[in-house]
Amino acid sequence: MAEKTVVKGFKIEPKQLRIYGLVGSVVGIYLAYILNSVTGTNIFSFVGALAALFGVVMGANAVRRVCAYGIGTGVPSIGMLSLGMGTVAVLFGLNIAEQLGVGLLGVILALVYSLIFGYVVGLIANRVMGFNIPIMEEGLTDLSGAGTLAILGWCFAISGSLAYADIVKDVFNTGFLAIIFICGGLAILHPFNANLGPDEKQDRTLVNGVMVGGMSTIATGICALMTLGLAAGMVQIVVGFAIWYYFYVWYFRLAKRDASAVVGTGLLPPSAL
Amino acid sequence: MDAFGMGLVAAMGALATVAGASEDIDSDIGSQSNPNSQVQLAAQVGNPHRIYNKAIAGEPPSNALWCTTAAIMAYVLIEGYHMPLLFAVAAGASLAALFDGVMSTSAYFGRSASQARFNQWIYLDIVRYTTPSIMAHVWITSFCICLIAVIQVYILTPHHPFPIPVIGLVWGLTVGAIGSSVGDIHYGGEREFQWRLFGQGLNTMLSGQIVRKAEAGLRNSIDNAWFCAKFGGPCTGLAFGLTVFLDNWRTTVFDPVTQAGAAIAMGLFFVIVMNLYNHYCEVSARRKYGPYPGYKGDIPA
Amino acid sequence: MTFDINTIIYILEIIVGGLLVGVGVHFVPVGGAPAAMAQATGIGTGTVQLAAGSGLTGLLSAGLMMSVTDNLWAILATGAVGAMIMIDATMLAGSWIYAYAVGAPFASAKVNYDPITGFSQPPYVAPGTVGQGIPTVCFVSGTIGAAMGGLGGAMIYYPLVQINGNPAMSAIFAIGIFFVDAVLASWNIQGTIEGFHDPKFKKWPNAFKSCLVATAILAVVAVLITPIGGV
Repeated sequence: MAEKTVVKGFKIEPKQLRIYGLVGSVVGIYLAYILNSVTGTNIFSFVGALAALFGVVMGANAVRRVCAYGIGTGVPSIGMLSLGMGTVAVLFGLNIAEQLGVGLLGVILALVYSLIFGYVVGLIANRVMGFNIPIMEEGLTDLSGAGTLAILGWCFAISGSLAYADIVKDVFNTGFLAIIFICGGLAILHPFNANLGPDEKQDRTLVNGVMVGGMSTIATGICALMTLGLAAGMVQIVVGFAIWYYFYVWYFRLAKRDASAVVGTGLLPPSAL
Repeated sequence: MDAFGMGLVAAMGALATVAGASEDIDSDIGSQSNPNSQVQLAAQVGNPHRIYNKAIAGEPPSNALWCTTAAIMAYVLIEGYHMPLLFAVAAGASLAALFDGVMSTSAYFGRSASQARFNQWIYLDIVRYTTPSIMAHVWITSFCICLIAVIQVYILTPHHPFPIPVIGLVWGLTVGAIGSSVGDIHYGGEREFQWRLFGQGLNTMLSGQIVRKAEAGLRNSIDNAWFCAKFGGPCTGLAFGLTVFLDNWRTTVFDPVTQAGAAIAMGLFFVIVMNLYNHYCEVSARRKYGPYPGYKGDIPA
Repeated sequence: MTFDINTIIYILEIIVGGLLVGVGVHFVPVGGAPAAMAQATGIGTGTVQLAAGSGLTGLLSAGLMMSVTDNLWAILATGAVGAMIMIDATMLAGSWIYAYAVGAPFASAKVNYDPITGFSQPPYVAPGTVGQGIPTVCFVSGTIGAAMGGLGGAMIYYPLVQINGNPAMSAIFAIGIFFVDAVLASWNIQGTIEGFHDPKFKKWPNAFKSCLVATAILAVVAVLITPIGGV
């Protein structure tokens, strides 16, 4: 049995995490946009993928809070709902902003629409279906926003632009939204699902979320190889791999910290034989 | 209808059958999806075990992930780098298998660590020898499904208007839904519990009392694949093969523009036949097995 | 963007599609995890995923049909048939396992007599379980549910393609709307249901209301999305 070493852990309040998620993600997407337009390249598209990670962490925490109440249909459905809402919100926000002539505000419009829609779905769940989960509205607002930000961030990572026409051409017509949809969905729902159990810990769950987010960034990097070219795609794959590796190792250490024992091999624990 | 199109549809049906079978065996080795609720419960009722615990978000989303991953890689290689179709699909499937390895191991570590208070240990040797087997099956599944998508988009006429990744996503969801509704019953209903009467489902009293010991030593997840590959896997394959084959057969034999009515009527005919076949299964099972002996109600059998 | 009578028809089509998905989910006999241990009647998986598997298979068929013809009825019918084939193949193969591997007669614990065949159910319910397998009534109910799901998916997809003329984008958009409605409906039934004979089926007006509100919000924005710069 390996010696128990001290592993870095953390604990964040949901409110704090929501601020980090929303602000970090929006600022990250705009930062990526500014970096790309100032330098005139698309190398910095990977910053969009990093921005998506903030949204993912916020979403993973919301799944954790809502699903702790038990919603009767398992964890996966709520992640799919989150990304379903996000898809519609992203398309609407980007398109309507362009139609109104304020193309850059698309991110904000999509986010606002998704937050409102999430809140309404939460209200429906509580009032019409009688869930009576006190944090349902809050949780679904978070989830819907998280899904939208994740899709937006990774869309930017693939298309390198916030213009509606570019995103449709590079992300929707090629079908790359499918990988964002499912990878983003798993990054939001897998952390809690994979750590389900009475001894679930917030830091382990969120680290897992970032780990899956890093993996998704590798996938979007592969898509970017085609849409943005070799250099931008490779940078994204390398960044994604670095994130994935760092957080996977961290996750393994946290699992080791929390498990009752990690053994190379062996029979059942003595209590159970 | 043309002979080439028919051949392609037959090939798609065959690929789908292989994909369905390997999908189910992959979920049995990893103990994914619905029967995993009992594996999860086992430790809680005092039965720590040495069974893999691959809880990746239910089968449909996880299989959608593998197939979509394979599809994007194949799409990038085909469209961006003009690689041969088969090579591109194989490369995509390899990436999907790697993703699967990451998700599987993280789920095993996470679920076991979250059961620390029930003394569920994490066994690293299980991770080492079971994960490659899961990845291999995922490789087969995503290879076959990605190839089906490629055939539908590039070769079969009429070409499908959706891009390859979207088709991969939909077929992945479908194969996962079929795998978890068909193959899992064989694993959960027959293999997981063997200390029970034959001819009935799991009595609620036995929940969590999964079989943890094998012929020699402790049962591991590879033993489950050995059992489920004999019936559950092939059945899943047949179900998915039927879905893909019948659905495409009717639009290939009948021209969808001029003979749309015939294509739809053919589909309805298949549906009615399957309804009748299920009724036959029900009647024959009732006749052969009869009512349960302990029944004390007043409704006659 | 132009707002005319067509826009209203598109909105209505999307809403009706969403409602069909939402109500169709109630017909699909889903037993959840217990059904996988032959502990409950129905298909042993989750509602959302099964509805998605069948409805989206229908969407694939409908998309193929729509690429070659504009005939609305052919597209809708193909979507419904594609979904029915998927769910019937699934339930049939599931039945083989219940009948030939687990070796259990099919029975429902929610009714005394099967409403379609009139077979008695309680004597065939194994002790300690709430039924097993897929009796005829569940099978027929599932077929109806899948037809509604496939019809709904096609009905969401059709107006979207009419509006933006982009099959790839419309498909993803339709998948998004489909998931929202399917998840809401499956929350309404708390994950498991046996079909239209199940007492839980009476809760469908709740899902109807929820899906109406949710789809209406989605539909109104869906028709506002018009092509810009040729895409």
